[in-house]
Amino acid sequence: MSSGPKKRNFQIEAFKHKVVVDPKYAEKTWKVLEDAIREIYNHNASGLSFEELYRNAYNMVLHKFGERLYSGLVSTMTLHLQSMSKSIEAAQGASFLDELNTKWNDHNKALQMIRDILMYMDRTFIPSTHKTPVHELGLNLWRDNVIHNSNIQSRLLNTILELIQRERTGEVINRGLMRNIIKMLMDLGPSVYQEDFEKSFLQVSADFYRAESQEYIECCDCADYLKKAERRLNEEIDRVSHYLDTKTETKITNVVEKEMIANHKLRLIHMENSGLVKMLLDDKFEDLARMYNLFHRVSIGLSTIRDVMTSHIRDTGKQLVTDPEKSKNPVEFVETLLEKRDKYDKIISSAFSNDKTFQNALSSSFEYFINLNPRSPEYISLFVDDKLRKGLKGVKDDDVELILDKVMILFRYLQEKDVFEKYYKQHLAKRLLSGKTVSDDAERSLIVKLKTECGYQFTSKLEGMFTDMKTSQDTMQGFYAACGAELGNGPTLVVQVLTTGSWPTQSTNTCNLPVELSTLCEKFRSYYLGTHTGRRLTWQTNMGTADLRATFGEVHKYELNVSTYQMCVLMLFNNTEHLSYKEIEQATEIPSSDLKRCLQSLACVKGKNVLRKEPMSKDIGEDDVFSVNDSFTSKLRKVKIGTVVAQKESEPEKQETRQRVEEDRKPQIEAAIVRIMKSRRVLDHNNIIAEVTKQLQSRFLANPGEIKKRIESLIERDFLERDNEDRRLYRYLA
Amino acid sequence: MKKEDTVMLISAEGFEFVIDRKAAMVSQTIRNMLTGGFLETEHGKVNFPEISTTILEKICQYFHWSLQYASLWMYVMMQGMWGAWYPVALI
Repeated sequence: MSSGPKKRNFQIEAFKHKVVVDPKYAEKTWKVLEDAIREIYNHNASGLSFEELYRNAYNMVLHKFGERLYSGLVSTMTLHLQSMSKSIEAAQGASFLDELNTKWNDHNKALQMIRDILMYMDRTFIPSTHKTPVHELGLNLWRDNVIHNSNIQSRLLNTILELIQRERTGEVINRGLMRNIIKMLMDLGPSVYQEDFEKSFLQVSADFYRAESQEYIECCDCADYLKKAERRLNEEIDRVSHYLDTKTETKITNVVEKEMIANHKLRLIHMENSGLVKMLLDDKFEDLARMYNLFHRVSIGLSTIRDVMTSHIRDTGKQLVTDPEKSKNPVEFVETLLEKRDKYDKIISSAFSNDKTFQNALSSSFEYFINLNPRSPEYISLFVDDKLRKGLKGVKDDDVELILDKVMILFRYLQEKDVFEKYYKQHLAKRLLSGKTVSDDAERSLIVKLKTECGYQFTSKLEGMFTDMKTSQDTMQGFYAACGAELGNGPTLVVQVLTTGSWPTQSTNTCNLPVELSTLCEKFRSYYLGTHTGRRLTWQTNMGTADLRATFGEVHKYELNVSTYQMCVLMLFNNTEHLSYKEIEQATEIPSSDLKRCLQSLACVKGKNVLRKEPMSKDIGEDDVFSVNDSFTSKLRKVKIGTVVAQKESEPEKQETRQRVEEDRKPQIEAAIVRIMKSRRVLDHNNIIAEVTKQLQSRFLANPGEIKKRIESLIERDFLERDNEDRRLYRYLA
Repeated sequence: MKKEDTVMLISAEGFEFVIDRKAAMVSQTIRNMLTGGFLETEHGKVNFPEISTTILEKICQYFHWSLQYASLWMYVMMQGMWGAWYPVALI
C-alpha cells in the first residue's frame, strides 16, 4: 500500500462466522439429525430437506462438534441395525433370506443418504482424525450387528449351504436371491466372504463329492463315471458364474477334481472291461477325449494315462511281432503294423488333441517292439516291393505318396537300417530287371525320401541302379542302330549292363546258351567293348527272361514268358523229342539245384506244364525223361511261367544275408573309431564305445563287444595303441 | 427451456435463480440433493438460507463458466521432436 497524502481508512477483516451462543447448540443440532436418520430408515426421506440437514452437519463440524456427530452416528445406526436384526431373526423358514436381503437393501439406501448429508464430515473431520469413513462404517456396523449376530451367523451359513445342496440334487432355487446375498458377503470384505461362507462351502462340497464319487465308482463303468464327473464340474463352474465370486471358481474346481478324479485315478484307468485299455481297443474317441480333458486337470493325470497306453502298445505290439502266424506273410505283417499306427494316430489326434508327449510315447513304443523281431527290416522291404510291383496299380499319386510316407515312418523306427538297405537293394534289383515295377515315379519318390532321411550315402548305389537301366536303354539303341542291318530276322536281344558295385552281388553260373543267341551275344559284347575299352562283361544268365513263340501239337500257338534257364531247356526240344535229365544237364551246364527248380516249374506246375515228365512225380530224379506237352492249353495267349519273385528268404538264405550284414558293419565300425580317435587323440574305453554308438546310430545299433574287437584289430594294425600306465586309455597313432 | 431441464436456487433474501440442471450438477453437493430422494428432488428447488444473493449469483455464474469450458476439449499441445503436435492431456 502506497502512503500518500490521503490515508485510506478501511481495513479488511478476517471473515467471522456467526458465534454460537447457545450452550445446547450441539445437542439440538444433533437431535435434528438423529430424527432425520430415523426417518430415513423408515423410508420417509422425501419429507426432509437435504439442504437443512447438510447445513446442520456442516455447522456441527465447523464448530468443533465433529466428535459428537460421529459418535452419535455410530450409536444411532447401531440401534437401527439391532432392530433390523431382530426382525430378521424372527423370519420363519424360507423368508429368512428374503428378509435379510430386503433389510440389506434398505440399509444400503439409507447409508447412501446418510453419507450424502454427512459429506462434509466425511471429507474433513474423518481423514484428519483417521476415523473410518461413513460408508465403510455402515458396512462394518452391519457386519457386526447383523451378520455376526449369534442368532443369525450360523443360520445364514446353513441356509445358504442347504440351498446349494438342494440345487446339487436337482432342485431349482432362487438364484437371484442367492446372488444378492453372496454379493452382500463379498461387499463386506474378502475375509467375511471367506470366513463366513467360502471355507465352509469348500469343506461341505468336498464331503459331498467324496461321498458321491464313492457311490458312483461302485456302480458305474468308466465312461459313465467320467460323464458324471464332467457334468458336476460344469455345474460348479455354472454355479460360480451365476452367484459366487469368480475367485471361488478355481477353488471349487480343485475340490471336484480332487475328489472325483484324482482320488480314483488309477481305479478308473484300470477298470475292467471299461477302462483305458478297453477304450483304446474300441476306438471310443469321445470317451477318451473326455478322459483326457478331465485328467489334464489333475497333476500327473496325463502321465498316468500315457504310461498305461505305452505299456499297452508295447505289449500288444510285442505279441503281434513275435506271433509266428503273423510272421508268415510279410505283407500282411507290415499292413497290420501300419493299421496299428494309423489307429493310434487317429486316437491321439482326435481324442488327445495331438498332444506331443503322447506322440512321442507312441513312437518310442513302436521303436521298442518293431526291433524285437529281427526280420522287421526284411519284411518292410518286402511290403514296399509288393506295393511297387502291383499294389499301387491304379492308385492316385497323392495316395501313393501317403502310403510311401507311412512306410517311411515305420522305417524310421528301425534300428538296423543297414539290413533294410541290403534287402531293399536285392528286391529293387529283381524289380528292375524283370521290368515289374508299377510306377517309375513311385520308385524315385521313395528313393528321394530315403535320401532325405539317411543321407546321400544310403541311396547312391540305388540311384546307380536306375542310371544303369537308363544307360542300357541307350546302349541298346546304339547297338541296333550300328548292327541292326546284320541281325535281320534273328531273335531280339535286350541287354541290361549293370555296374558291379551298385547291384547286389550274385555269383555267376555256367549256362550254355542256344546257338542263335550266343552269336548275338558275342556281337553285342564286341560292340560294347568297342565303345568302352578296359571294361569286362560277364553274362548273368540267372537273372534274365525270354519270350518264346511256341506251337503245341501243330495247332496251339502261345507266347511263353520264361527265365533264361527255362529258355535254354525249351530250345533243346527244337531238335529232339525226348530228353533225360542228365542230357539236359550236360547240354545246358546249368547248376543242378537251379536246373531242378527250373524243370519243376516247367513240368510240375498245374496249368503251366509245357513239358511232360516221366514219371509224373513232383520231384526231379536223375533218370526222369522230359518231352513237350502237345496237349498244353491255356486260356491266355501269353503265358508266364515261373517269374523270379522276391520271396521271403529261407533259413539258410537269411543266415547268409545276416552274415554279410555283420561283415559289412565291421569296416563301418572301424571307420568310426578312426574318425573319433583322429580328432580326440586320446580317449578312454567307455567314451569310445559311447561315441561310436552315437555315430552309427542312424544305421544300426553297434554291439559293444564288436566295437571292442575292432579296437583290438586296429591296435594290431598299428592304428591305435594302449596307454602304458592306464590300460583303459587309447591313443591315436598318426 | 423445458421445466425439467432447470432447477431453482433460492438465496437467503429470497431471490430465485433459475439455472440449467446441468449447470447445477457441477456441484457434487447439489447433485446429491437433487438425486437423493429428499424434499429437493421432488420439487427441483433448493433453499440456501445462509447464502446471500450476491454470493449465490456468483456461484451460478461459476457454474455456467465451468460448464462452458468443460464442454470444449482442451488439448494441451506439445511440440514434439520432429515438429508435429502431440496431444498430451485433456482438460
